[in-house]
Amino acid sequence: MAASFLFGQFMGGLTTAMFLFLIASGLSLVFGVMRLVNFAHGSFYMIGAYLAWQAIQWVHPTGAGFWIATLFAACGVGVLGGVVERLFFRSLYGREELYQLLFTYALVLILGDAAKFLWGTGQLSVSTPPVLAGSVVIFGSTQPLYNLFMMVVGPSIAFFGWLVLNKTGVGRMVRAAQMDREMLDALGANVGHIYLGMFVFSSFLAGLSGALVTPIQSIVPGMDVLIIVQAFIVVVIGGLGSFWGTFWGSVIYGQVLSFGILIFPSFSLFSVFALMAVILIVRPWGLFGRPL
Amino acid sequence: MRFRHGLAIACAAVALSPQGARAADNIKIGVPIPLSGPTSVYGVPILKGAELAVQQINAAGGVLGRKLEILSRDSKANADEAVRLSRELIIKDNVDFLAGTLTSAEAPAVSTVAKENKIVFLAPSSKSTILTDEKHINPYIFRVASNTDVEGLAGAEEMAKLKDVKTIVTIAPDYAYGRDSIAAFIKALKEKAPNMQVVDSQWPKLGEPDFTAFINAMMSKSPDAVYCSLFAGDFVTFSKQATPLGLFKKIDNRLVDGGEVGTIDEAQALGKDYPYGIIANTYDPVIWTGTEPPEHKKFIEDLKAYTKAQYASGWSIMGYQMIEALAEGIKKANSTKSDAVSKALEGMTFDTPVGKRSFSVKSHETFAPEFWGTMVKDANYPFALLKDPQPMPTDFKAN
Repeated sequence: MAASFLFGQFMGGLTTAMFLFLIASGLSLVFGVMRLVNFAHGSFYMIGAYLAWQAIQWVHPTGAGFWIATLFAACGVGVLGGVVERLFFRSLYGREELYQLLFTYALVLILGDAAKFLWGTGQLSVSTPPVLAGSVVIFGSTQPLYNLFMMVVGPSIAFFGWLVLNKTGVGRMVRAAQMDREMLDALGANVGHIYLGMFVFSSFLAGLSGALVTPIQSIVPGMDVLIIVQAFIVVVIGGLGSFWGTFWGSVIYGQVLSFGILIFPSFSLFSVFALMAVILIVRPWGLFGRPL
Repeated sequence: MRFRHGLAIACAAVALSPQGARAADNIKIGVPIPLSGPTSVYGVPILKGAELAVQQINAAGGVLGRKLEILSRDSKANADEAVRLSRELIIKDNVDFLAGTLTSAEAPAVSTVAKENKIVFLAPSSKSTILTDEKHINPYIFRVASNTDVEGLAGAEEMAKLKDVKTIVTIAPDYAYGRDSIAAFIKALKEKAPNMQVVDSQWPKLGEPDFTAFINAMMSKSPDAVYCSLFAGDFVTFSKQATPLGLFKKIDNRLVDGGEVGTIDEAQALGKDYPYGIIANTYDPVIWTGTEPPEHKKFIEDLKAYTKAQYASGWSIMGYQMIEALAEGIKKANSTKSDAVSKALEGMTFDTPVGKRSFSVKSHETFAPEFWGTMVKDANYPFALLKDPQPMPTDFKAN
């Protein structure tokens, strides 16, 4: 097996990983801070993709349109997340997980049908912005510029989030809310606002990933459920609520998928699920998580 | 009391009115087909084609002096739902025939309902060979679509035409359709081009969002050409990821796809990102480059007027043919009894906008050729067109 091929496969896995990281970090963040398992995170991602497509139709499908559309989609989904949090999730905090799961699942169905109603059931497609449409050859393997761009953007945005969370005053409040909500409330901090902010940020990330994925994937109904399954595998491997866990979970997922198909070409998904099963048995709280 | 009498008389009057009588006289066709969910992108245009055929036949006086009537139901591409709806259509709505379903999950399931109830059932689009093979055939099932053996053979014939191809890799969705079509392709290739060899096969799941690893693995084999059974959204994703990875450049666009990605619907979705130069197929090119049969031209004009769409769909023709075949069968049998119609359909030849089709006596299918050709840029359209569509395969022998 040629070295350039192995390198190509490694880079392919890394691209997958960074996309997943961008999506899964929002999911993990909301769980870490708010103890909320948000099944609808994938639906926000899908809405982001559709919104980006819609905005490009409005702006005109030229290169410049893509970046405006991406920003529009991310902000649009952020606002949607804020509205959903204020109207519904607020009354679910602290309730049993089952209620949260049921509600977010209902949201998946509602948003899925809403998307079908608004954008139809066909496949939609967005062109790669011309600046990033080419590719470069690294170590003898062709790398699309857009993939390289994602490898930078994904971690940078998530790293920015981590920095805010760990190095700023706002972040300290968020971590305090995570540890002891009542105490923070008693100290006069507005926990409601913190939760709202976290949820909006997480939705923003989902919308952004949805928009950024459009140049390399088709936009179809069902992409919501598909991605949420992958994102959950990532956080289960890495540890739900752990930032670095999500990062390494994504990297492992991407590489196992990439090299797994070389070993078991007929069972492309087998390796990933096998890994998840092993981790669930040996270390149910994930590689970087803490036992609940 | 008098009021109640009045009501009863009114009811009786309605029941006996000419309108009521006419409705009862209609030849009812139950059509379970996906009208919601991802697969409705095929289900809806097929139903539209069927509706157009019914409208035209009725305008010309109907069949045996009676009008056709479609009762459509949303099967959601779910086999259980399709079975439930079919039973309901038979028992509650007293349909005379069943015609519909989309996938190879639904059609074989509904075929058993047709067999139990002794009702003729026409499947417009299911391609899996198990629908009508020796084990599963029954007197009532008829297939309008092609099957995977025909598709694989046509693909092999197209591949054999390519020059300088020795090694081929295949990629197909990992379920019955993908596995069957690749097996058929490999079998046919051995005969049509014994010098070509399939060196690797990739099996992404249906709906795979990330083909990068599969594409890299394909490219590592340095193939001369690719045979592909990906379709719809999967093909959109695949080609968008394969283009920047340099796959099409590496194989000089020598990709042959048997999953109807030559359909105008697919070309519109990809727009200018379509990998021009690949060889693809469709049941109906819709926009016909080259000499267009006049029947086809009229069909597309009627279809556009009926659906009020700028461009017609490439899938409507399957619904249209399904109704044409059924109407022809009823006429030939001079009866709406399924046993008689079934006999009439066996071996029957019928006209379609794209040429004559015949149901085989043994396996009740048309082995319909599809139109194959190279996908090219056209200055007049913002999407790729199938250049000079040719019906393929040219050399199919029903076993």
